[in-house]
Amino acid sequence: MIQNLPWLFLLLPLVVAAIDWLCFSKCPRTAATLSTLSAVATFALCVAYLNGWQTGTPDVYTWLPTATEGMISLSMGLVTDALAMRMMLVVTGIGTLVHIFSLGYMKGDASNLSRYFAGLSIFMFSMSTIVLADNLAMTFIGWEMVGFSSYLLIGHWFNKASAADAAKKAFITNRVGDFGFIIGILLTLAVFGTISFAEMGGKAAGIAPAVLTVTIICLFCGAVGKSAQFPLHVWLPDAMEGPTPVSALIHAATMVAAGVYMLVRLQVSMGAEAFTETACITIASVGAITAVLAALMALQQDDIKRVLAYSTLSQLGYMVMAVGLMAGEAAMFHLYTHAWFKALLFLGAGAIIICCHHEQDIWKMGGLAKRMPLTVLCFLMGTFALIAIPGFSGFFSKEAILHAALETCPVFFWVGAGVAALTTFYMTRLCLVAFCGQARAHGAAEAKEAGPTMLLPLLALAVMAIISGYGFIADNLVPFTGFEAHGFELGMPFYVSMGSLALGLAAAFLVYGCGKRTTDPLAGNCLSNALRKRLFIDSIYDKGLVGGIQEYGSQIIEFADAALIRGVIVQGFAWLTAKFGMLLSWIQNGSLRGYALVAGIGIIILMFILAFTIPTI
Amino acid sequence: MTPLAHYLIFSGILFSIGLAGVIIRKNIIVVFMCLEMMLSAANISLVAFSRAQGVNGVPVYDAQVLALFIVAIAAAEVAIGLALIVAMFRARKSVESSTLNSLKD
Amino acid sequence: MESAISSILFYVFAAAAVLCAFGVVAFRNPVSSAMNMALCFGFTAAVYFGMGAQFLGIVQLIVYAGAILVLFLFIIMMLDVKAEEHVRKSFPMACIGVIIAGIFAGFVTKVAISLPGATDGPCPALVLCDTIGDLAPGAIEEKPAEETLAPYGAAMPKLNPAAAAMTLGADEATAAKATAFPDTKLMGQALFTKYNIPFVILSFALLAGTVGAVALGRKIRKD
Repeated sequence: MIQNLPWLFLLLPLVVAAIDWLCFSKCPRTAATLSTLSAVATFALCVAYLNGWQTGTPDVYTWLPTATEGMISLSMGLVTDALAMRMMLVVTGIGTLVHIFSLGYMKGDASNLSRYFAGLSIFMFSMSTIVLADNLAMTFIGWEMVGFSSYLLIGHWFNKASAADAAKKAFITNRVGDFGFIIGILLTLAVFGTISFAEMGGKAAGIAPAVLTVTIICLFCGAVGKSAQFPLHVWLPDAMEGPTPVSALIHAATMVAAGVYMLVRLQVSMGAEAFTETACITIASVGAITAVLAALMALQQDDIKRVLAYSTLSQLGYMVMAVGLMAGEAAMFHLYTHAWFKALLFLGAGAIIICCHHEQDIWKMGGLAKRMPLTVLCFLMGTFALIAIPGFSGFFSKEAILHAALETCPVFFWVGAGVAALTTFYMTRLCLVAFCGQARAHGAAEAKEAGPTMLLPLLALAVMAIISGYGFIADNLVPFTGFEAHGFELGMPFYVSMGSLALGLAAAFLVYGCGKRTTDPLAGNCLSNALRKRLFIDSIYDKGLVGGIQEYGSQIIEFADAALIRGVIVQGFAWLTAKFGMLLSWIQNGSLRGYALVAGIGIIILMFILAFTIPTI
Repeated sequence: MTPLAHYLIFSGILFSIGLAGVIIRKNIIVVFMCLEMMLSAANISLVAFSRAQGVNGVPVYDAQVLALFIVAIAAAEVAIGLALIVAMFRARKSVESSTLNSLKD
Repeated sequence: MESAISSILFYVFAAAAVLCAFGVVAFRNPVSSAMNMALCFGFTAAVYFGMGAQFLGIVQLIVYAGAILVLFLFIIMMLDVKAEEHVRKSFPMACIGVIIAGIFAGFVTKVAISLPGATDGPCPALVLCDTIGDLAPGAIEEKPAEETLAPYGAAMPKLNPAAAAMTLGADEATAAKATAFPDTKLMGQALFTKYNIPFVILSFALLAGTVGAVALGRKIRKD
């Protein structure tokens, strides 16, 4: 009985979501409290597990039993190893803080509160399913469920057309990746003979490298969709239409990291030998490209949330790159520190947005440091962690990745260093513009410190953003078995990253000064416009891909509709019926003589049958 | 004495002439006359059978009674049919059966 | 001798009736058709008389040739029906009608002359098959084939006034002296005893017909 406690991670949020949705849609306060309590409970449970409270293996439930020999029966089980439980700490920890933050953030939207918190609880359930799944099929279920809850939460304000579109875009873009993912799962089943993580180990040795490459890349497709890697990255910036706490939880800290987690989980289960060189280079390249492109695009964004969104993309690129470089522990370390400080940044941004009366444009802020110092301080902590100032958590994890890159493939090291400079530049730009100088708009002028429900999570996250990189925390909590935060060593990676940090800071201060400017001095040229327009990737997708698919799709549908359905089925049957009707109406010609004729023929036939075919008695 | 077969053939010929008339003629009154002729031809068969089936020189009067009934029904039919023809003539100013084709449209 | 004459008369009247029937179909003027039909009914009545069915013959004359035909003529006159037009147009139809009628007549002839024993003389087995009950499948199987199948093809049996009189209830001595065949009496007996109720019901049918004719014939008021 007691060994089944981990199922609570899944069932508690699910039940709460159902209750919120079905019973408390009219009492938003109760629904919100219930949801928050469930998050707190799962967090407590997670902490208990991390402190060595082992209860044994949870029961495995056979989901789709198959009697036939040689078939795989799908089961539902949980893994409670260090990797899963430490990932759960991130999920439940940030989840709890986001729940608490949402209590304050969503105060003005009480009518939809139950729906919002039900969505959050569903998300907690789905994310826990991914993390704790003991086989790929269950992962996939969680995978789709997070997609669904992400859809619900991005489209929370579905009355806004942009939110509804963004939700749709996120969902559909994820479908593309999921298509590859499910093929990958099936390939895994075919190649490894199992989809259970526990049974995969050591089977990769006897398999042809080409097959392994295809399998891994297909599985990686799922990660590309969910972790918003190039070329499927387009949905994540748009997903910022959702409420900011949702962006913090789902689109920064946890869900988008699920792809990285899944890859690392595969690396751990299949063994490093399953990741062939081609697959690794593909993964690392995709990560690097995403990191660079996203960092470039972040340079010229004005929306505070979008800057953070592109920054998230860029950091996810880092993590994927690390996975591709076979540095799973570095990837998870960065995932772990990034989750805290990016959640902090998003929640801080959320607090700023709320306090500035829903103003998201950084050029309409300014001078916030004076009006809401505590929030800004927390935000700065997050920024320092993100730009990897030594001593903050992000520094250690970024250093770990750069280390791994330098050891494996120096090209990626230089890419990482360049991205670090870009990151420093755009984050400094954001802080300088938003926090220094004078208020440039009415909303920012009236801003004042956020309420305690928002400040407390910020403070908690700020503490984590600072300390989570240090060995005494990281060695225990980084979701990787046997991980040791080796801190930093004075060496080439350190000097290079310090150089890029200094370069970014200097450039940003040079361009933006101390908040004196009211417009972006870099704006207006063609490069800036291209970056603002996201390097036209979205437009290409919209016009070329979506438009093309729609055009050709519509032609196919038009053909199917016009030629097959209308032409053959509808009109064909109509024609047939009409012709048959004409034939019958020729008989039914209203002419008395015609009827008499037919009757006469009938009499003759009847007579023939009666008199000449039936044998006489 | 004439055999039954000849009566039956006579009756059949009369009936088929009536049938041909019904098919060929357009004038609905004549068509109706031909119908009456067909009924009458059937009566001939009945009477012939009545005679041929007779027991001990006495015909079977069941058949003749049936023939009488047919005559009576024919009379009623003619009454109604001619009333219908009159009504039709009032409506269409014609007794051509080809004008009775409003079911077609 | 008597039978020969009546036989000849039958053929004469039958031929005349068929001719008149042709006339009904062939004449384009409805009045000529009606007249031909009257003649046809008259000859048919004569055939009835020849078969000894005097009552039906009279009824044929009175009802058909008298009442019905007069009614037809009356309507034709009243509606002032012109001779049929566009005969040529319906030539294919006429052909088809003639063909169908020909096939029908051929079938009837074929059936009639293929009746068992149609060309044989009078059949002694006539008496055996006297009621419908004897024609039931079970009854037939018990009898020899020739006996049961004979009556259809045989010549008409002679009318027997004596037997008829006995059927009407006369004693044997009176019956033996009977010379004329009491057709009408027998008919009346059948009508008012065995078929009394159908006869009464038929009168209702006639009444309904009359009422219907009146209802159809009256002018429909515009309001």
